[in-house]
Amino acid sequence: MTPGKKRLNYAYYPGCSLHASGREYDISTRALFKALNVGLKEVPDWFCCGATPAHNVDELLSLSLCAKNLSLAEEVEGDLAVACAACFSRLKTAQHHIQENPATKRQVETAIDGPARVDKPVKHILEILARDLGLAKLAEVCKKPLTGLKVACYYGCLLTRPPEIPDLDDCEDPSIMEDILRALGAETVQWSHRMECCGANFTLSRPGVVLKLSDAILSSAKLAGADCIMVACPLCHGNLDIRQQKIDEGHQTNYNMPIFYVTQLAALALGTAGDKLGFDSVIVDPRPMLREKGLL
Amino acid sequence: MHLSNETMNIGFVKKVEALSGSSVLRCFQCGKCSAGCPMATFMEHPPNRIVRLLQLGQWERVLAGRSIWYCASCETCSTRCPNKVNLAAIMDALRKLSWDADGPSKESLVQLANRLFIDNIRTYGRQYELRLGAIFNVKSGQFLKDLLLGPKLLSKGKLKMFHSKNKNISEIEGIFKRIEEMRKKGEAL
Repeated sequence: MTPGKKRLNYAYYPGCSLHASGREYDISTRALFKALNVGLKEVPDWFCCGATPAHNVDELLSLSLCAKNLSLAEEVEGDLAVACAACFSRLKTAQHHIQENPATKRQVETAIDGPARVDKPVKHILEILARDLGLAKLAEVCKKPLTGLKVACYYGCLLTRPPEIPDLDDCEDPSIMEDILRALGAETVQWSHRMECCGANFTLSRPGVVLKLSDAILSSAKLAGADCIMVACPLCHGNLDIRQQKIDEGHQTNYNMPIFYVTQLAALALGTAGDKLGFDSVIVDPRPMLREKGLL
Repeated sequence: MHLSNETMNIGFVKKVEALSGSSVLRCFQCGKCSAGCPMATFMEHPPNRIVRLLQLGQWERVLAGRSIWYCASCETCSTRCPNKVNLAAIMDALRKLSWDADGPSKESLVQLANRLFIDNIRTYGRQYELRLGAIFNVKSGQFLKDLLLGPKLLSKGKLKMFHSKNKNISEIEGIFKRIEEMRKKGEAL
């Protein structure tokens, strides 16, 4: 990446969730990039990365879908920005296997009937904020510091594991989310469930799994005194936000714990108006808490 | 457990190793994978026991159980293994072998969800979440599952009623077809 005098530009792979159940992640990602004056152009005709179900039963299909998507991304200027942790993990995994293993590369090229052009850097939004732009720059452009907001940063599984693939941060004790939030004036809490699984895509097939695992996450964040949880994955968000009422019903709790995407909080701190960040789309309305803190 | 030539299938283990790119024999049963596994509580055989059963060639017991379908692919096991056994990849390989044998496992709901998800890619190019949930409920016989959630998500714009196919859907179909052909010709596992 050589920004030079030119405006920084990224190709953008939103992924399926960001066009539906995670729409506020897409809305706030676009708003954030606008506030940062950084270009973001969606890859035309991208398709599903295959997520967990594809690699669960058919690794070659998963690698091929991702390789084809990466080839499509070659047509757009800039590194590939990915917001969804699952898409990010699958695209990086495909890139890693295809680059490391010539036999895999040959199979994938047969499957996609063309060269596997997978060398464009794939970057998660967190990485773009903390490394490409840098924490000093974030602090400098922060217009409305998130003073007084206590946030539990939730990483989940795929942002850091397995360690050789995402190359985002330490696989057991990451700090990239906390670093970004502190640069934007928020407080971060220390808590036990930063890296525990939320139940992921069992939300469709075995929701009972999600209710148990996500309850433990909400409970831990509450105990640590957090006002809210911040995530960077639409599946984590869905499980903690959409399923929260059901968790309350099943566990006699009343968490009322707003779940934010990193892009919502970052854009808010950069001065984007609260009505442009999809707060009306989520189930646990974060606006009363934000108003109480004087952040909205 | 009865160990004999009839119950042990070392060829199966070799296939798992080839598909996953990970050794099965390297495991020395420290149990770290199961200690960190968020799903072990839902499994009849926790992850380290799956590997032990594999080492002993007990393929039927592994495939018949629900453990492999209750793995969330969170990668904690592979991250923490002191002997670099890539258990998450081994789980993928086991699910593929079970899938190819038309799912002999008792756990059918996860398999159904996977199948519908992959069908959605082939038909539309991108996930159509409303259809995914609706067909899952019909096929699994759980007509009332998340019934109240659907309208709420629709009103929040989190579910889309209609969904258009990708323009390049023929290219996606091509990928599926070519992989099927490669497997028929024995060029891919």
